[in-house]
Amino acid sequence: MRVIAHLHTILQRQTPEGLVRRLEVDLPGGSRVADLLLSLEITLPLDAILLAVNGRVANPEQILKEGDQVNIMPAISGGGGNLGTFSYD
Amino acid sequence: MENISANRQIKIWRVDVREQQLAISPTPDHWVHLGGRGLLARILLDEVEPTCAPLGPRNKLIFAPGLLVGHMLSSCDRISVGGKSPLTEGVKESNAGGSTGLQMTRLGIKALIIEDAPTEAGWWMLHLSPAGARFEQADDLVGVGVYDAAPRLLSRYGGHVAIALIGPGGEMRLSAAGIQNLDKDKVPSRINARGGLGALMGAKGLKAIVIDAKDGDKPPIAHLEEYRKAQKEFNKALLAHPQTKIYADYGTAAMPRMSNGFGGLPTRNFSEGAFEGVEKISGEYMRQILLQRGGESETTHACMAGCTIRCSNIFGGEDGKAIVSPLEYETIGLLGPNLSIAELDDIARMCYQINDLGLDSIEVGAALGVAAEAGLMQFGDSARAMELIDEIRKGTPLGRILGNGVVTTGRVFGVEHVPAVKGQAMSAYEPRAIKGTGVTYATSPQGADHTAGLTIRAKVDHLDPSVQVDLSRKSQINMACYDTLGACIFAGFGFGAAPETIRDLLNARYDWQVEADILQVLGKETLKLEREFNLRAGFTSAQDRIPEWMTRQPLPPHNAVFDVSEKELDEFFNW
Repeated sequence: MRVIAHLHTILQRQTPEGLVRRLEVDLPGGSRVADLLLSLEITLPLDAILLAVNGRVANPEQILKEGDQVNIMPAISGGGGNLGTFSYD
Repeated sequence: MENISANRQIKIWRVDVREQQLAISPTPDHWVHLGGRGLLARILLDEVEPTCAPLGPRNKLIFAPGLLVGHMLSSCDRISVGGKSPLTEGVKESNAGGSTGLQMTRLGIKALIIEDAPTEAGWWMLHLSPAGARFEQADDLVGVGVYDAAPRLLSRYGGHVAIALIGPGGEMRLSAAGIQNLDKDKVPSRINARGGLGALMGAKGLKAIVIDAKDGDKPPIAHLEEYRKAQKEFNKALLAHPQTKIYADYGTAAMPRMSNGFGGLPTRNFSEGAFEGVEKISGEYMRQILLQRGGESETTHACMAGCTIRCSNIFGGEDGKAIVSPLEYETIGLLGPNLSIAELDDIARMCYQINDLGLDSIEVGAALGVAAEAGLMQFGDSARAMELIDEIRKGTPLGRILGNGVVTTGRVFGVEHVPAVKGQAMSAYEPRAIKGTGVTYATSPQGADHTAGLTIRAKVDHLDPSVQVDLSRKSQINMACYDTLGACIFAGFGFGAAPETIRDLLNARYDWQVEADILQVLGKETLKLEREFNLRAGFTSAQDRIPEWMTRQPLPPHNAVFDVSEKELDEFFNW
């Protein structure tokens, strides 16, 4: 399964070809958003990341499917509201 | 220091532009606990007939530094300017960084109230100093853009002064005109942009206000030790916040990809929510090219002395020479995707011209989007967009239509798709995709304005209508308080992590005994005062609405409409 990760601001990758912020990532079927974060070795705490899958705010536990567009945005909740806590463990 | 001293050294300065006289009076008791936006609303309710003509002698132009202004507390030296809006015809507050607020507090000004109207044509410069107020003729500055006028004023009055001035747009009394203030580098780029306050200043006959505090004292602090302690805690929380570093490096230009990622980046006059050229207008790309270009370019720049976030920038061209400072998200959004323009250099050049005219780049960008739909330009044609901006400078009928904002432009050219609420253009968040911000646009007494309560960073489903009123309400209450404190929206990174510091800073500075809920108290009071002014001005729930076409026409890519119910919108103020 291949998904597209859009990395924002400080999560961009420095590569020999320059900065990269759009990555195609192969993951096993049934992977969650959190698995994508792990595979990208993103170490920011989850409460400091805003996630969107196909344009909608997503929970790290959400199951991904082929072709999903995942925006990974370092950001803090700005006005209340929360989809609950989650840890990598 | 005594309680009375801390509260009373700060006075109300009243300037009558008909008689050209200044009167200084003590602050009325029921104004003392307010500043900035909250104080503006209080003064407007107390002194301005809500049904008055915005450009007439009964309206007042009011400057009020926020409650925390005066000590270079990081991100907390903003100046609020207000009056009855020539654009919305309701209550108006627009705040800006720069040095105007700081210098006013050093003259001991709690609020500067500019009253009446001149009896004769002609332009004046109002000079405020410890010696009082004096008027000098400013006819030599008529028609001069702010980037040329500011250095001329600085050479006349000294490099240490603060200046609030209008451009040709304000002189023409265009409803998209704002008031510009000097940043810490003396560039007149910090604008009280929204709601046509530049037209109101023009109606008072004032081209500029020069504030010369000389070696005026900082405002008094009742309990210095406690103040320093609270300041330290606030700074610590601000610096520890991960978002502070992101805003230093990317500024508000980090937003295009986020809004686009949510399908909420207004594109081609708010007809789509995602833009194919987003990469080239992104903050990430801007930072890359500015670092490459070097020269005068700066990716990190403070608009106010003492700010630790420094989210501003200087946008330099390929030759390294500055094109404009700053280049911010809203400007990028309204002049970029909204016009289908994907070149930051073109957007920066348009921004410079709009600033020089003293206009709100959100209102002008939205008006150009409507103009494009009407066939006055092709989407994507930045050269034609620049020609249209030049029409405003020339003062042609077409230019004046555009300079009076998006609603006037839509009406004149018969366009239904006008993105505005209460007469004011929406900023660069699509209300059909970011519905909480849509609720803010609809219900804010200010008209469509993201700074009244942005919700995009909340971890909610932005398409679910059922959670948006509550979310917007929380955000609007917070923002109304920050605007009353003189705090930048980004000071909220620190205040959010250490909310008790707001209470502690206020109590230490003023010898007050406010409680931990002061954020809510001041925010709610401010919103209720503003709402009351609008009700007395004749506003009804009919004005608390997103334009009808947005409730009917789906927005790609989500194909969403704005579907927060009218009943819920009408419950907004019932808290």
